[in-house]
Amino acid sequence: MHRHKVDGQPAFVLHSYPFRETSLIVEVFSRDFGRVALLARGARRPRSALRGLLLAFQPLELGWAGKGEVQTLMKAEWQGGQPLLSGRALFYGYYLNELLMNLLPREDAHERLFNVYAATLRRLGESLRESDLRCFERALLQELGYGLTLDTDVAGQPVDPSAFYAYEIERGPIRLDQAGASALSVGGKTLLDMANDDFSDPRSLLEAKQLMRTLVAHYTGGKSLETRKIFMELQEL
Amino acid sequence: MALPTGLDALIEALRCLPGVGPKSAQRMAYHLLQRDRQGAQRLADSMQYALNNLRHCQRCNTFTEAEVCERCLSPKRDHGLLCVVETPVDMNMMEQTQAYSGLYYVLMGRVSPLDGVGPRELQLERLLARASDGVVREVMLATNFTNEGEVTAHYLGEMLKSRGIRVTRIARGVPVGGELEYVDPGTLAQAVRERKTLTE
Repeated sequence: MHRHKVDGQPAFVLHSYPFRETSLIVEVFSRDFGRVALLARGARRPRSALRGLLLAFQPLELGWAGKGEVQTLMKAEWQGGQPLLSGRALFYGYYLNELLMNLLPREDAHERLFNVYAATLRRLGESLRESDLRCFERALLQELGYGLTLDTDVAGQPVDPSAFYAYEIERGPIRLDQAGASALSVGGKTLLDMANDDFSDPRSLLEAKQLMRTLVAHYTGGKSLETRKIFMELQEL
Repeated sequence: MALPTGLDALIEALRCLPGVGPKSAQRMAYHLLQRDRQGAQRLADSMQYALNNLRHCQRCNTFTEAEVCERCLSPKRDHGLLCVVETPVDMNMMEQTQAYSGLYYVLMGRVSPLDGVGPRELQLERLLARASDGVVREVMLATNFTNEGEVTAHYLGEMLKSRGIRVTRIARGVPVGGELEYVDPGTLAQAVRERKTLTE
């Protein structure tokens, strides 16, 4: 891998963990370079200018240099323009980040997905809508090459909003004779609503959530998501 | 040349300290054996003593030798106020302010979804039990202003409020003696969003 230098790159912190005594390894999602791991030297020192800056969910402009898998962060600038996430919206944010950490390969640029991610975070800062998560999941799968077929069934027929379908992963909807005949049974209307990113119907929202959960589990190789587990535990308290 | 096993084991053991790599561990081991055998003995004894005698206070969860720590028993403290912090260091910091006279609860961590740290790992039910003892009338959340600290505060807040306990969160904004010119824009932006009305 050749040595290169990047400057003024729009990016978000996905996750960070301590490295050595005073440094931090930061996983970022950048617009033109996708997911990269950066070493933030001395970021954990008490007076570090980076302290409090490398926060997830806030738009930053980063500069880095180096070669190899972990490069060195040289510069970070706060971009702002959106409130810090709080309360439940934070959890939604963590969920997005966990999806990206698990599904997005390193150093694979996805500018469109980056823009969807930025817009989703902005919306989460204003209002809390589960449908934003569904739209993001669909954009993510689409961008990774696992695009969903939602408006035609596997037989090539247009999806009928009043019929029921079983969604077969990587193939598409298969028309069912009756509802509930498959564990992955969804209404035709849900599929069409998903195709239009329209989640005003609560039933569509619920069915889309179940379908997406199965798809996400499939593509993460059955790995259960920590954010979901912890969210459930907190709900029990 | 292979080192004697005892020396090897000592070097390996010292490496469990934060920021100590193989080189520093070796230097420490030789220093203790060659120059400061008394110090080494003191270190070994105090470590042994601490391991055997220190436990978590039943009420505030910080380290103590007794069942319940001195601070939690002190009659000079306001037992109706409970301040929740992430670590014992945070508690010491709160004490230094001399602005707080209530009691504490130390979480010994924070909710961190991406690291798999949740209510089970933090044993949040212990805090719940502590806060609902009937004496506590206000819980003050003083977790950090990081995303993890905020998520922790949010859930503790929801949990305690639903049990009829008054919950407050420490304020955030421009530091004391801070000049706007030198404050970082993120802090200033949040201070604008969380501004308050001036009252008589």
